[in-house]
Amino acid sequence: MDTPRERIGRRTVLKVLGSAGPAAAVAACSPVAPEKIIPYVIPPEDVIPGVATWYATVCGECPAGCGARVRTREGRAVKVEGNPEHPVNRGALCVRGQASLQGLYNPDRLRGPLQRRTANAAAGQGAGGTGRLVGSRLEPVAWDVAQQAFIDRIAALRESGRADRIAIVTPLMTGALDTLVDRWAGAVGGARRLRYEPFAYEALRAANRLTFGRDTIPSHDLAAADLVVSFGADFLETWLSTVGHTRAHAERRRAQTDPPSRFVQIEPRLSLTGSQADDWIGIEPGVEGLIAASMVHTIVAEQRVLVDDLDTEDLDRIAGLVDGLSAAEVAGRTGVPADTLVELARAFSDPDAGAGRSLALGGGVSASGWDAAAAQVSINLLNYVAGNVGRTVRFAPHAGWSQAGTYRDMRELGAAMQAGEVELAILHNVNPVYTMPGGDAFAEALDQVPFVVATSHFPDETTARADLVLPTHTPLESWGDDHIATGLHGLMQPVMRPLYDTRHLGDVLLETGRAVTGDDATATLPSGDFYRVLRDGWRAIMPAPDDTDDDEPDFEAFWAASLRRGGYWYTVEPDVVTLDPRLGDVRLDTRNADSARALTLVVYPSLHFYDGRGANRPWLQEIPDPQLKTTWSNGVEMTPATAAGIGADEGQLVTLESDHGSVDATVLLNPEMHSGVVAIPIGQGHTDYGRYASGRGINPLTLLDPVPDTVAGSLRWAGTRVDATPRDVRRPIPRLQSTFDQHDREIAQSVSLAALAAGDVHPEEPHVSLHPDHPHPDHRWGMAIDLDTCTGCNACVAACYAENNIPIMGADQMRRGRTMSWLRIERFSDPVEPSGGLAHPDTRFLPMLCQHCDHAPCETVCPVFATYHTEEGLNAQVYNRCVGTRYCANNCPYKVRRFNWFEAEFPEPLNLQLNPDVTARSAGVMEKCTFCVQRIQGGREEARDAARPMRDGDVTPACAQTCPAEAIVFGDLNDPDSRVSRLSSNDRAYHVLDEVNTRPAIAYLKKVTRGSA
Amino acid sequence: MSYAKINADILRTLQPPGPVYFGSIALVLAVLGFGVYAFTQQWRTGLGVAGYEHPILWGIYITNFVFWVGIAHSGTLISAVLFLFRAKWRTAVARASEAMTVFAVMTAALFPIIHIGRPWFFYWMLPYPNERQLWINFRSPLIWDVFALTTYLTVSAMFLFLGLIPDNAAARDRCTDWRKPIYRVLALGWRGSTRQWIHYAALYGFFAALATPLVVSVHSIVSWDFAVSILPGWHSTIFAPYFVAGAIFSGLAMVITLLIPLRRLLKLEEYITIRHFENLAKLIIVTSLIVGYAYITEFFIAWYSGSTFERGTFFDRAFGQYWPLTWMMITCNVFVPLLLFWKRIRTNLVWLFVISIFVNIGMWLERFVIIVTSLSHDYDPANWAGLYQPTWVEGAITAGSFGLFFLLFLLFVKNFPAVSLTEMKEGSHVPAEARPKPV
Repeated sequence: MDTPRERIGRRTVLKVLGSAGPAAAVAACSPVAPEKIIPYVIPPEDVIPGVATWYATVCGECPAGCGARVRTREGRAVKVEGNPEHPVNRGALCVRGQASLQGLYNPDRLRGPLQRRTANAAAGQGAGGTGRLVGSRLEPVAWDVAQQAFIDRIAALRESGRADRIAIVTPLMTGALDTLVDRWAGAVGGARRLRYEPFAYEALRAANRLTFGRDTIPSHDLAAADLVVSFGADFLETWLSTVGHTRAHAERRRAQTDPPSRFVQIEPRLSLTGSQADDWIGIEPGVEGLIAASMVHTIVAEQRVLVDDLDTEDLDRIAGLVDGLSAAEVAGRTGVPADTLVELARAFSDPDAGAGRSLALGGGVSASGWDAAAAQVSINLLNYVAGNVGRTVRFAPHAGWSQAGTYRDMRELGAAMQAGEVELAILHNVNPVYTMPGGDAFAEALDQVPFVVATSHFPDETTARADLVLPTHTPLESWGDDHIATGLHGLMQPVMRPLYDTRHLGDVLLETGRAVTGDDATATLPSGDFYRVLRDGWRAIMPAPDDTDDDEPDFEAFWAASLRRGGYWYTVEPDVVTLDPRLGDVRLDTRNADSARALTLVVYPSLHFYDGRGANRPWLQEIPDPQLKTTWSNGVEMTPATAAGIGADEGQLVTLESDHGSVDATVLLNPEMHSGVVAIPIGQGHTDYGRYASGRGINPLTLLDPVPDTVAGSLRWAGTRVDATPRDVRRPIPRLQSTFDQHDREIAQSVSLAALAAGDVHPEEPHVSLHPDHPHPDHRWGMAIDLDTCTGCNACVAACYAENNIPIMGADQMRRGRTMSWLRIERFSDPVEPSGGLAHPDTRFLPMLCQHCDHAPCETVCPVFATYHTEEGLNAQVYNRCVGTRYCANNCPYKVRRFNWFEAEFPEPLNLQLNPDVTARSAGVMEKCTFCVQRIQGGREEARDAARPMRDGDVTPACAQTCPAEAIVFGDLNDPDSRVSRLSSNDRAYHVLDEVNTRPAIAYLKKVTRGSA
Repeated sequence: MSYAKINADILRTLQPPGPVYFGSIALVLAVLGFGVYAFTQQWRTGLGVAGYEHPILWGIYITNFVFWVGIAHSGTLISAVLFLFRAKWRTAVARASEAMTVFAVMTAALFPIIHIGRPWFFYWMLPYPNERQLWINFRSPLIWDVFALTTYLTVSAMFLFLGLIPDNAAARDRCTDWRKPIYRVLALGWRGSTRQWIHYAALYGFFAALATPLVVSVHSIVSWDFAVSILPGWHSTIFAPYFVAGAIFSGLAMVITLLIPLRRLLKLEEYITIRHFENLAKLIIVTSLIVGYAYITEFFIAWYSGSTFERGTFFDRAFGQYWPLTWMMITCNVFVPLLLFWKRIRTNLVWLFVISIFVNIGMWLERFVIIVTSLSHDYDPANWAGLYQPTWVEGAITAGSFGLFFLLFLLFVKNFPAVSLTEMKEGSHVPAEARPKPV
């Protein structure tokens, strides 16, 4: 019988088993599914696999306009660095700039157009809100359909003659795109245009208008000022141009002039900026202007006015303005001793030193409260009478800031929406639903608009209420330019192909504009795509040809050079400004709001999140706040006395209630604040801003008075009165440092300027060791870190995350201190007394990373030689050999080693950011700082290709590269002339925990105390 | 007592067990199973499932490791050292202590593997030839541990086996069930000839001499895991004697904890008597006093050194966030054993059992306190950690290790004579002087 069944006999089965078994086993051996590898059969012309390509562009994280260089590998951006040629930041970037990659690669990015559709009953989730939002949700749609829906809306409004009922809101943009938005608004029929920045420095601009007739913001030359008095301006954190300020501030500190330069910070809560101050005056919010006015009063009364050719009429006007605001009077009202005020005024305008040797700064967000414009006028006058205007305060002909809308403009737009006067709202990368105070007022207003279009990069509280979402390219994928001030033209170019189905805003506007305007498009809108518009715009920027040069102006060469350089810039002489004749109307006697509520709230901008836009970057969430060391959340800061007064303690929830709203916040004890002040940083408390931002902390804007300041049109950020009631709930926020006291360990050391000048320095005594030193025949890599200029800004930490593929662990792991950061900023402080005249903050920030010890305790205890000393002095870690005993970390006195508790996760597309030169570590192994060994290797190869020995400066680790203060210097300790060698033998140099005799390769330079007391 | 009665009484313990025994086996198997499940979770997910809090990178697992190694110590002390000193009372408790030693070392040896980040590569810590020419770092105390532990396991297992040979023969002769061939193999052809007895006695004495230095060396080496590091609270020259005394102390307590229920379960009251327990209790007093002295020395030297770091660590140990554990440890290890100075207490089995449990807890806490408080509060205050909160995984694995230990012990006492037949017979009839002299 020959049935089919019998054909599969015993032999067949054995044969199949014999071949299939091993085959299956072999296939199962490989843990990773095979990937398709596509070779470069036809290689792209300028891509060499393994070699990085750099593109110059402009950082798009805030309006400061810093130049950036983006390192790309095989077509994807892996690292953002400052552009060394750019005059604003000169090679450095701040923590937010470093994290801009996580904007590009944010896993929550909008990946294609969305359109609001009525949800069927089964899929009701995602529906929420009021009015048109009920029972509907955003669903993916094709670009053509989405754009046509947009065009149809505009066309319908134009047909019915209601094109002026269109509103387009963008952030502050200052280049070709800005011009294009304006032209588009005009072309479609007079759409309302608003440039909305939550931090628009309205008070500063209003005061400049009142004082000098200039609605703009000058630049401030911190490096040239011997005395800087800052009235709450957080110029090292968010105020205007922080990277440039930090650099100048560091330069000023490094120059050890006689008498020493001095920095006085006057503010209610010791900020990160204030931590750097030589003198600090703790005040209640809202009296900044009075103090400035009293200083003007003293300067005028004591005839120390240093203005060239000042006419007596102006002097009389100034005297009239500050009349009655003598030091004694202001001392009585502010609690600052009159002597201090007088001394400060005399130092500020010192005829012996000459005019223009000082600088007063003000108008920061956290210092803008009631009568903020008047306060800033006092500060302006202070600069004026000391002769600083035109010297350390430099007005340029153009400043991008003057175009920014005010809070009042935005509020009026909200009112117009509420009244039904806006029928189409276009919101580009602004999130007013989150950044506008008044609870849900703006959201409700937005819901009254029949059609809302969002052209943002990320889903947020605002896009959640849109009818149509047209996602646009992120700055790193876009062409564009930046013109924040005269003489500064930054050029943006796409550094990689767009990741998702997004379009450039310029192209969307051009296409929609042409579609609705039809034939007369050419008349109103430029031709070509946005790239062409940009190029055409740069024809006007190109400098006029030199008369002596016969050549035709070569635009192509100029364009190519600008692209390579990252822009085009030139120095500008400051405008001569004079006092505005209408100045006499201002009343400088500022008053705070009256309220029966017990506490005064200060809302301050976040170093990491700015106005909240950075909150969806996981690095910025995970890297601890440099001052409080909090991660992944925020709370309400209060002094231990205040907390005890209301019966609350660290980690406890309190209900904060103002006249405008209430919020439940976790108490964070912070002794360095004026009594009766509570403070909350801006930036957390998102409800709908992606996985990393949503549901963390609180948004303090809920508590603020939504009525704008009458003069400046600004939101009153500071001075809201609140009551705090403790709740019986604990919700502690993870803090990555449990004590700020050194406990006599002398980890971060300081030396007084006087001792330094007198040569009263105590060099470390050499210790004997039983072990021979390691030979370092060629190089011994080392580092010097200057604690005097380090501001604790966290830029190096973020750079390290980006360069070295450091994973983020999330909020829960932070509760167990399990950060993976190879570099951390340690903060030690002797808390200042927050009231009564001059205090001297003693806050020391110490970047702590692997010290690459010559006698490393970690090396001897590893059972498998996974860590060892290289010939070049590196303490190397072989991840593949590590079994994870963790003995090395126990034996490290600096505790800089990090253990991989879990397999690292990089949710797509964050994995595209991984640096291909650095191994991604697996679970169960130890890792730590390598001194960016991949960069050392790169520098070595570069030198070898050029057939020369390695030189000082060939290698710069990521942390040193981005440090705005240039506090970190890296190099070869074997080379006696290298910068690091010279710094390591500086009088201020010391090694942390020297007595343990680990012989670190990192020398720290002691902080210099300049206290004038 | 006649040889026949001893044979009958002790070999009776090998007869098929009752429900209490099976109940106990089921219980310890369940506990062990839960521990294994927890470990598989840890293996798959990563060590993060344990409660480690940076920079407390060693925690419960290393505590358990040192604890179990410590438990192992009294076995050798009782069987080898007391043998050499001719302390005859050891006879009744020697076998159980030896078995305890072997099982405790086996349990302890698991913990370094459980503890490391990549347990699947644990064999990288062994010096085996390989084509990559990778070798181990003999400067690392962890390698010393590997050698100390394997040596100790080998010697103590052989010592146990050696003592069992005549007893296995006795069991072989009596046994009628499936275990008979096993006993036959394990008896190594023992016939009880004089020649065999002479060799046996010589070898037993030789192993006793070989094992004695191990009592000192193994736990000294374990203590060097800590002492050769540079961590304040670990870096101390008294660690070796301190740990050895502590190990014997905890081992003696564990012997008492095990024997009191065992003699009841196996009806060996005639063989393991109050006198044996009293002698063990006296040893506990001695070692407790040494441990107490070590505590005082540690704190005194920390103060006397004038070192900020040493002082900080010990102040934190006594008054920091782990203070309840430290004071519990001191109470259990120093104050509670003082009760044994009273004869009425050390001859009362209930009291003894309770005190031995206290000592077990105290000695486990000692290792925990030394490891965790020192790590949580070292040189740089910026690193000082929050409270280390172990997770269920660590709890389950710890419980599982007790499950494993008791499982092995229960299986042993039902299959091998828990009291040495040979030595009981020697002790009952032959005067000590007449026994063969070890060579």
